[in-house]
Amino acid sequence: MTGIAAGLSALTGCRGELAIVDPAGPAARSISLLWWGMVIWFGLVLLAVTLLWIYSVHVRPRSGRAVTEPAVIARGAPRWIVGGGVLLPLITVTILLLLGLPAGHRMAAPAPDALVIEVTGHQWWWEIRYPDGEVITANHLVMPAGEPVILRLTSADVIHSFWVPRLAGKMDMIPGHTNRLRLEADQPGLYRGQCSEFCGAQHARMLLTVEALPEPEFSRWLSRRQQFLPPSPASKTLAQFSTHCGDCHRVSGLTRGLSGGPDLTDIGARPTLGAGTLTMSEPGALLRWLQEHRRLKPDNRMVAPPLPAAELSDIAAWLEQLVP
Amino acid sequence: MSARRPAAAETPKDPAHLRAEFSRVWVNPRGWRSLSVVNHTAIAYRFLITGTVFFVLAGLMAMLMRTQLALPQHEFVDHKLYNQLFTMHGTVMMFLFAVPMMEALAVYLIPKMIGARDLAYPRLSAFGYWCYLFGGIIILSSLALQMAPDSGWFMYTPLSNAVFSPGRGPDVWLLGITFVEISAVAAGVELIVSILCTRAAGMSLDKMPLFAWYILATAGMIIIGFPPLILASILLELERAANLPFFDVVRGGDPLLWQHLFWLFGHPEVYIIFLPAAGVVSTLVPVFAQRPIIGYRWAVLAVIGTAFISFGLWVHHMFTVGIPQLALAFFSAASMMVAIPTGIQVFVWLATLWYGRPRYSLPMLWLAGFFFIFVAGGLTGVMLALVPFDWQVHDTHFVVAHFHYVLVGGMLFPLIAGIYYWLPHFSGRMPSERVGRWAFWLTFLGFNGTFLIMHWTGLLGMPRRIYTYEAGLGWDLPNLISSVSGFVLAIGTAMMLADIALHFRFGRRADPNPWQSNGLEWVMPLPAPPYNFLTLPTVDSRDPLWSQPALAETLQQGEQLLPEIDHGLRETLGSDPVTARPRQIVHLPTNSWWPLAAAAAIGALCLALLGKVYGMALVATVIAAVCLLRWSWENGAHASSAPLAILRSGPLPLHSRTFDSVGRYGMITTLLASGALYFSLLFAWYYLWAIAPEWLPPAGAPLSWTLSLLAGTAATAACALHTIANLRLRRGVEQQLGVLTGAAALMGTLQLGLMVWTLHHAGLQPTLSAHDALVIVMFAFVGFHTLVAVLATALQCWRVHYGYVSLAVPYEVPVVTPLWSFSAACFWLGWLSIMIMPQVWLG
Repeated sequence: MTGIAAGLSALTGCRGELAIVDPAGPAARSISLLWWGMVIWFGLVLLAVTLLWIYSVHVRPRSGRAVTEPAVIARGAPRWIVGGGVLLPLITVTILLLLGLPAGHRMAAPAPDALVIEVTGHQWWWEIRYPDGEVITANHLVMPAGEPVILRLTSADVIHSFWVPRLAGKMDMIPGHTNRLRLEADQPGLYRGQCSEFCGAQHARMLLTVEALPEPEFSRWLSRRQQFLPPSPASKTLAQFSTHCGDCHRVSGLTRGLSGGPDLTDIGARPTLGAGTLTMSEPGALLRWLQEHRRLKPDNRMVAPPLPAAELSDIAAWLEQLVP
Repeated sequence: MSARRPAAAETPKDPAHLRAEFSRVWVNPRGWRSLSVVNHTAIAYRFLITGTVFFVLAGLMAMLMRTQLALPQHEFVDHKLYNQLFTMHGTVMMFLFAVPMMEALAVYLIPKMIGARDLAYPRLSAFGYWCYLFGGIIILSSLALQMAPDSGWFMYTPLSNAVFSPGRGPDVWLLGITFVEISAVAAGVELIVSILCTRAAGMSLDKMPLFAWYILATAGMIIIGFPPLILASILLELERAANLPFFDVVRGGDPLLWQHLFWLFGHPEVYIIFLPAAGVVSTLVPVFAQRPIIGYRWAVLAVIGTAFISFGLWVHHMFTVGIPQLALAFFSAASMMVAIPTGIQVFVWLATLWYGRPRYSLPMLWLAGFFFIFVAGGLTGVMLALVPFDWQVHDTHFVVAHFHYVLVGGMLFPLIAGIYYWLPHFSGRMPSERVGRWAFWLTFLGFNGTFLIMHWTGLLGMPRRIYTYEAGLGWDLPNLISSVSGFVLAIGTAMMLADIALHFRFGRRADPNPWQSNGLEWVMPLPAPPYNFLTLPTVDSRDPLWSQPALAETLQQGEQLLPEIDHGLRETLGSDPVTARPRQIVHLPTNSWWPLAAAAAIGALCLALLGKVYGMALVATVIAAVCLLRWSWENGAHASSAPLAILRSGPLPLHSRTFDSVGRYGMITTLLASGALYFSLLFAWYYLWAIAPEWLPPAGAPLSWTLSLLAGTAATAACALHTIANLRLRRGVEQQLGVLTGAAALMGTLQLGLMVWTLHHAGLQPTLSAHDALVIVMFAFVGFHTLVAVLATALQCWRVHYGYVSLAVPYEVPVVTPLWSFSAACFWLGWLSIMIMPQVWLG
């Protein structure tokens, strides 16, 4: 089975960052196994009934073996219908449910000791809050590897859906409701997520990076993040930032960002900008975002700051330093 | 006047003279007067042609989308247009192509298959067509005006509400689709009544063609399944236009209510599309296997089973919204159970082929394509019903691939097979074997090339409805393959359409019954005359043309039932719903302008609501009502209908001279649809009570006990008065008919007044609380039905004065009585829900 997967992957040139068939967590792995089991069995069923049709229509009439005695037909017909139409689906379905439902149950099992992270969907980005309420980030979910975490999912506007295919199935984020998703990565690494409920103009550009860290490192990351005091920029830059950006964007200790844009406290450490629109590793990415975000992610809710390039550049340079 | 009896006329008339007379009475006028045509054959042609145009347009939208997705980061269309394209592609294919096409096929075939001259309500057929055409034009023109809906064909709120979609797009969708749905429900009612009440003598339920069973089940699903969506659309439009917060969490609504109502419709919808197509398969397989179908009873049970189960599965579209595990397990198991009735049908077809002597033909080739694609789609459907697997692939391209397998495989391929099979019927000519085969292989390979690989794209994590994607995720090659194959599919489809269009000119002339079929529709000359049957057949088996080889001859000689035409009226036989014993002669109305006028007025209403010109909307509503009432005036003993002066002899009465007419069946069937809508409304009420996080019920009773009880008393009294009028008439008492019906109408008016007073007195705040908004909608529902009953009964009272309703012509009274009972029952159910249940519930 893995051979087939590898073959198909090679065929399609797959890096598989979002591939369900390249699981990296227990939930995704058992779903992937269910898939391969089902596709083999159903493939055989499809082959069998298609061959029956072809044989009955094209081969048998010429073979001279046509049955016409009513008694034979009266005996044989119920066997076809009961055997193929009732028993075959009934047995298949029973086996599937016996395997699939307990698997689903395990995926949603409670994890009382697990870390609880709150994720809120926005048009078109992800807000992520850690338990103490002070650590807030966006589009970059850091979690411990090798143990389950519980995500509490909701939305600030329309319905979104949280989905990191290599780790687990998806769960919708619905305004007024809080859903729970158990997420576990076997190994440390970067995993990609994407909104999977159509949420408006830029649904296609609502990506998420999940970073699983080995345990001691995750705790270190969290405490570093808790204690992080962002460096203050030159007073003019701070004033510009506060005036034009601070109403929406919080930077811990400097601006409050009450109008609901992404928190920027650790923006320098995030892998992407604009929920996956630009990669931070690209030189000058932050300035480019500030200048071209309307073109890069049309209809996004950010107001273009009416500032000259030099001042935007100062803001960008400072934001790049926001690395806990 | 000639004698009427269900046996052969004693002195058969000259067949040529008969044919000339029938052609004169059943003529479809030409030129601009053809807009008044009501004959089912003509209406079905219009439906089929209009549906094909919509299909081509929606297909072109798909081509644009496939071009955009062919390459990563492609900038062929922008996100605004792309989002409109996928919303419109789904909407048009589902609502303007799949459902109407299948209904059109049924409108064409059902009377011909069951041995009737027309459907039971010819004017309603025409009205349905105009609603469909006008609604379709409104919906499609929004795309040309760049204001098409863009939140997906299932219109999830809050994305589709006035905050997140401030444009006109969602209004176009909600109003346009509701308009089109009038057509679907009208056809549903008409098909049910026609199948139950106008079958050929001897065609008892167990001898009915399987296609009629499939259509009966489908039509039943339409009248139960469409109302939840109609209700949901009304509620969302009220939320958008009048700020009533049914789906707004903050004010006591819940966005998940929309999803429940939508899928309560949406899942049956899938079977509403598939079952008629499966009916085509079950019709064609025995013909080309050259033997009666094996497992007729199994197939009937499977169809009924599918219809029932399909209403218990809607939650499988919502496995990811956060539903308790136990409910997930239930809906998962229920969804998989559909595999059993579907499996039965598959093996009924296989067994029939196995024990038959199958011969190759063009329709059979398309059926083979159907079989492979549909079985594959059904199997991925079982996969999707497995909850954990669905959590992964839900809303990915895997699902897109799955439902295209089911819908294209399950609907388009059988439809094309059916159209090729019935082509001689439309044109009197045969299709071209050669072009048809090329078209098939291009379509089949193009389809699989597009959608087989798309399963894999989904498994690589590509969500649906994204207008762009990055390179290097493994999606590039599969998307390119899908796009290229999509164009092959388009070429194949175009070739098929061209083949069909050209055959009307170049096709070889068809022999009578060219496929040596078993069904009654092949007994008539080709192309089919508007009256279908010169004289009406008596059947003795499920395969009448195989068991009664002389049938065609005797029908054309005027030797069978109902040969009278001298009176100049269109007629068909009314028969017992179970045994098909003839019980009456159903007089059918002739060409009329009222359906067009009524539909145009409703179209104007739709446009007025879209433009928020509420004064004009009111005027349009009044005009529509006047048109519909005027239309109903030409009934019974009216001079343009079946006046008393035409004397009848013989054992069979005219249907308007009986108490148990097709009209009564139509009323009861329509009330089932209304009941489904009211049930959905009560579902919304109880659902929000139980689930909505911010539901705010008032401390005490929301309405005045005295006023609401008085209104209920008036409702009951009105119902009682009309029931008494009906019972007295049945006992043969004609006196006081006008007084009683007039009193019922007055009492209903009093009820309306009291209901308005109750609401006014209650001081509800519908824009602040979903609770109050729902109370108003419940009252509006009951009020609407009472108003219709008042108008119909007042009209009846007036008609008594003219002598159109009397002991001699009693049938209209028992038609209206059930409406009064329904209205009163809905009042009390609503009253219990608003006034009593909350008290009981809260203890």
